[in-house]
Amino acid sequence: MALTISRRALFGVAVAATAAALPSRAEARPRVVAEPDAVGLLYDSTRCIGCGGCVAACKESNGVPWDGEPTELDCTTRNVVKTRNLRQPSAAGASTAFVKRQCMHCVDPSCVSACMLGALHKQGNSKRVPGEPKGTGIVVWDPDLCLGCRYCEIACAFSIPKFEWLAANPRIVKCELCRHRADPTHDGPLSVANPACAEVCPAEAVVFGRRADLLAEAWRRISAEPGRYEPRVYGESDGGGTQSLYLAAAGVSFQDLGLPDMPSESPASLSESVSHAPYLHGLTPIALYAGAAAIIRRNRRRAEDESAHHGEDSK
Amino acid sequence: MNHHPHPRPIGGPLLDRGMVTLLALFGIAEGVIIWRFVAGLGAVSNMNDGYAWGIWEPVNVVVFTGIGAGAYSVGLLCYLLNRGEYHPLVRPSVLVGAIAYSLGGASIMVALGRPWNMYWLAMPPMWNLSSVLLEVAICVMGYVCVLWIEMLPAALDRAATSRHPRWSAFGRRWGQRLARAMPYIIALAMLLPTMHQSSLGGLMIVAGPKLHPLWHTTLLPLLALVSCLAMGLGTVVVLTAMMKQSWNARHDHELLVDMCRVNGGLLVLFAGLRVADLMAAGKLDFLAVPDFYLIVFVLEMALFLLPAFVFLTGRVENSRARFVAALSAVTAGALWRVDAFLTCYNAGESFSYWPSWGEISFTVGMAAIGVAVFIAITRLLPVVVVHDTPVPASIAAFVLSAKPEEAAGRSGALTAH
Ligand code: SF4
Ligand code: SF4
Ligand code: SF4
Repeated sequence: MALTISRRALFGVAVAATAAALPSRAEARPRVVAEPDAVGLLYDSTRCIGCGGCVAACKESNGVPWDGEPTELDCTTRNVVKTRNLRQPSAAGASTAFVKRQCMHCVDPSCVSACMLGALHKQGNSKRVPGEPKGTGIVVWDPDLCLGCRYCEIACAFSIPKFEWLAANPRIVKCELCRHRADPTHDGPLSVANPACAEVCPAEAVVFGRRADLLAEAWRRISAEPGRYEPRVYGESDGGGTQSLYLAAAGVSFQDLGLPDMPSESPASLSESVSHAPYLHGLTPIALYAGAAAIIRRNRRRAEDESAHHGEDSK
Repeated sequence: MNHHPHPRPIGGPLLDRGMVTLLALFGIAEGVIIWRFVAGLGAVSNMNDGYAWGIWEPVNVVVFTGIGAGAYSVGLLCYLLNRGEYHPLVRPSVLVGAIAYSLGGASIMVALGRPWNMYWLAMPPMWNLSSVLLEVAICVMGYVCVLWIEMLPAALDRAATSRHPRWSAFGRRWGQRLARAMPYIIALAMLLPTMHQSSLGGLMIVAGPKLHPLWHTTLLPLLALVSCLAMGLGTVVVLTAMMKQSWNARHDHELLVDMCRVNGGLLVLFAGLRVADLMAAGKLDFLAVPDFYLIVFVLEMALFLLPAFVFLTGRVENSRARFVAALSAVTAGALWRVDAFLTCYNAGESFSYWPSWGEISFTVGMAAIGVAVFIAITRLLPVVVVHDTPVPASIAAFVLSAKPEEAAGRSGALTAH
């Protein structure tokens, strides 16, 4: 007896589980594409001379005092240039390569998907701050909506957002593409942001501009000197695409530069379609609730009837 | 007429040695909390930008709520599958759930860097509906309220038996009103955990390449749901054995066996889903790499399948074996959760993490206050169904003496009908 009912219980659980799992991949969320005027950075590892000028300029323009050459991003370092040891030497025989790391300004950012109240959001999408420029795609942080939950740090595949661990009122710190240096007297990209790192780079290894233009420039460089470059622009579609784009020297894998190997579906899209699809826009919870309430009521009424009967019998 | 034996307050001293120990542990946690708000999270923890949640989210939230899911799984059996005989287990399970979820919520508040911005959460237009964490947060907050409402009848029953006529009239009147509303509250208590337990698992999907492929799967929400049911049922078996030992609480052998059989099915379901998913995703290759992750994976699977073996064979009749297996079922779920959130999460080569004493004492202190609140409430309110002659012994002393096998053996001897 006990066993049969257990089996029925199991069956119920299995059915519910399957029902929850089935729609999860069926209703993928539409792919987010870069906005036409999205801006970003192009970093060319082959041109970088590792001078660190952009690191100093970044700190200065963000009002952070210089306390020695940083080796990693942290809550006082939004930009770092690392020397990476290569597992495979480059085609030109180099065993190391430079890489600049800062926020990728993802086309479909994990951090934005993760953030509960939209503290991290694409500029222009804030529900709290009206009048932000639209269409730049810059991922910015709003101190008033941030709970300091640090889910953004967990979510970002590039491990970009940093937290002020020793502050009583900690902030999330990351590159916001120097939007505070925007120059409204200019037209075009400079009117929304003006990255200090790109401005100071003596080698044109860091270039700021519209993502579409940067992508064209990257491919122009590759086709002009095919022997020099790895024939691929990292960020064109990696992780759903990023607005910070990377070029590597021929024979150098982007993973050796420390950039993760990501499919073209963004983690945000995967996460949201799996997590939200079973809800069918709120229909599932309502149906489950109504069903549960009906069953519980019915069961209770039956139990009451039964005990009423027993009551009569015993009289 | 009610067939169910009635729960009774256990009575006994509120402040015995065990309780003082528990409160002292919580006192240390309080110190950690205060220092954390003065000097920042980094001052009390080893959390860093790579392991930004340390052990607090994985253990205090994800594991505690798994342990508290007994309220959900027993509720499912009792109310949805209409197994009225489970009724005596509902109140203790709901109390564990209410406490565990409250502790999870409280731990989040302590872990949040900018909790003063939380008032925005009360404004639904500001919600980012894409955020899996938002869903967890809202759902868990709602569920904590629901769980404590589910505990109200215990308080009202107590009031109804009060010698003061006004209290007793109040208790009876509101007890009846609440009883009428209960089906709708219980339905919420079934819906909300279904949602947030799966979302809890879903939290790590977005971490993508940072989570080891053996743990990163689109099945994370479903696995989290199944694992919470198994953890919850396991917890109730462990709890029942402990209460039997300490308070001579009623211990329905048939019922526990039946519940363990269900749990056995859940454990097999979990393991089966996991293996099937690895096969479907073509990830079996990872099982051929003899590394740390393989050891962790095998350990998890063993912890899931060994109790399933006990539960689905005749061994489940032996209360010592049943107790150990139930403990293993809880540990299995807990380990899988900690692995998916921390152990098998890799933030990159430049980060490492090991919890600090501050973090550990906070987690221990929160668990301690949970046990203390459970004891205090069961002493004061009718939660547990006891035999007529209660044995006055402290569950805390029992927990602290930590000899569960021996205890289970003894309780087994007593339960044979
Ligand atoms: S790199 Fe990280 S922080 Fe920057 S936009 Fe992408 S997900 Fe957000
Ligand atoms: S820490 Fe702040 S910015 Fe990051 S996800 Fe949490 S609320 Fe958003
Ligand atoms: S854009 Fe500005 S903040 Fe970002 S890396 Fe460059 S200098 Fe630093």
